[in-house]
Amino acid sequence: MILELKHIAKSFGKKKVLKDISLNLDKGTITGIVGENGAGKSVLMDIIVGVRAAEKGTVNKYGKIGYCPQSTILFENLTVKEHFNYFALAYGINKAQSKKRSEELLNHFNYKQYEQEKVSHLSGGTQQKLNLSIALLHEPELLILDEPYNGFDWDTYQRFWGYTSKLKEQGCAILIVTHLLSEKERLDRIYELENGVLK
Amino acid sequence: MTTKKIVAGLSMVLRMLVRQKIVILLLLIIPAFFLTVVEFTSSDRTLPFQLASLDEEVFISLSEKGISFIFFAVATTGFLVSFLALNLIQKNSTANRRLILCGFHPIELLISMLLALFMVIALIAVYVGLLTNAFYSIDNLGKFILSLLLIGFVYSGYGLVVGSLVKGELEGVLMIVLLVNIDVGWLQNPLFYAEAQHQFIIKFLPAYYPSQTAIITAVTDYSPMNAIENGILYGLVFLVLSMLLFFIKMRIK
Repeated sequence: MILELKHIAKSFGKKKVLKDISLNLDKGTITGIVGENGAGKSVLMDIIVGVRAAEKGTVNKYGKIGYCPQSTILFENLTVKEHFNYFALAYGINKAQSKKRSEELLNHFNYKQYEQEKVSHLSGGTQQKLNLSIALLHEPELLILDEPYNGFDWDTYQRFWGYTSKLKEQGCAILIVTHLLSEKERLDRIYELENGVLK
Repeated sequence: MTTKKIVAGLSMVLRMLVRQKIVILLLLIIPAFFLTVVEFTSSDRTLPFQLASLDEEVFISLSEKGISFIFFAVATTGFLVSFLALNLIQKNSTANRRLILCGFHPIELLISMLLALFMVIALIAVYVGLLTNAFYSIDNLGKFILSLLLIGFVYSGYGLVVGSLVKGELEGVLMIVLLVNIDVGWLQNPLFYAEAQHQFIIKFLPAYYPSQTAIITAVTDYSPMNAIENGILYGLVFLVLSMLLFFIKMRIK
């Protein structure tokens, strides 16, 4: 097991967004979470990665985590390459490894030509590629993806699933928030978040 | 905590700042604009006023123009630095949070930002000091620049506190305007202070000691040590408070 959630609860004012969430994630699996807008999917992701604190319950994580938030969270005045360098340092990756990994991701998601561009000069789709690449840079063992393909064209969308399938084969556990029920066959398990509980 | 991360953070913060070309341009233009307005609007009549922060009662006479140059040098530095500090801490807060989730320690990031901020404050203080000296001959230029550093230190602390407390950009700007306008932009004017009622209120405001240091060093040979020490103390309170707020806000839950 790589992720264990036990009886997670979270409220905002009187509204109980998450009531009693328990979930286990094993290595080499892809788990999907669907739910209506405002169901609390992103809040749950935030609690898993540590952006928010749960009111009740515990989160146990084992291994390196990669997190791709729903909206692009980047430094608009830094270049793509500088992002890779900055985040590689945060992850504790050495220079050579960081160079190899960033080259691989730039080529796989087909945006090597923007390596020296500032984020503010990139299209929304390219920013999202970088947003995702940062989560993948350190070869995580647990990948938390909150609607990671917003703004992707069809080709990039296919490349994204190609990459995640490869990660799954390597033993990575992937938790993905999605709206697309058409992705069902790509997932090992799928949960619906409704009225604060996973079904 | 590693030096490597702090240095990399510092380098990235400076790059982000330098790439905001309009901001750099305004940092150069605003002080020159303020001082040019003083040059064209203030009179040369001599006015007597008291140096309030000295132990003994000292009255000096200075031209209205001279007082205005010194006062506006302090005011401009306070304005610019507080807005810069606010921007620095607020602008990339979500991206900084992401860096922390990925392995940066909040203190490493904060030290990088503070180092960058102090470097910029030093540049602004030297620039405004030299510019003021070009308009009006300052007696102790080195010490005068030190007083501008002091106002920069105090007001950058205030900007950091506001930026750590409030999320919204407009709320932050309004909170800066509230204090900076009243304090450094009005009440600390030596001419106003000399005749003000309830002077003790003005003494408790953040710009009091830096403003006093500026006026003492610009036109007299009195020692400004008392004012400098108190100014540093004020700045340190803001700094520690902002560090605590930043840490609480940025820590992993």
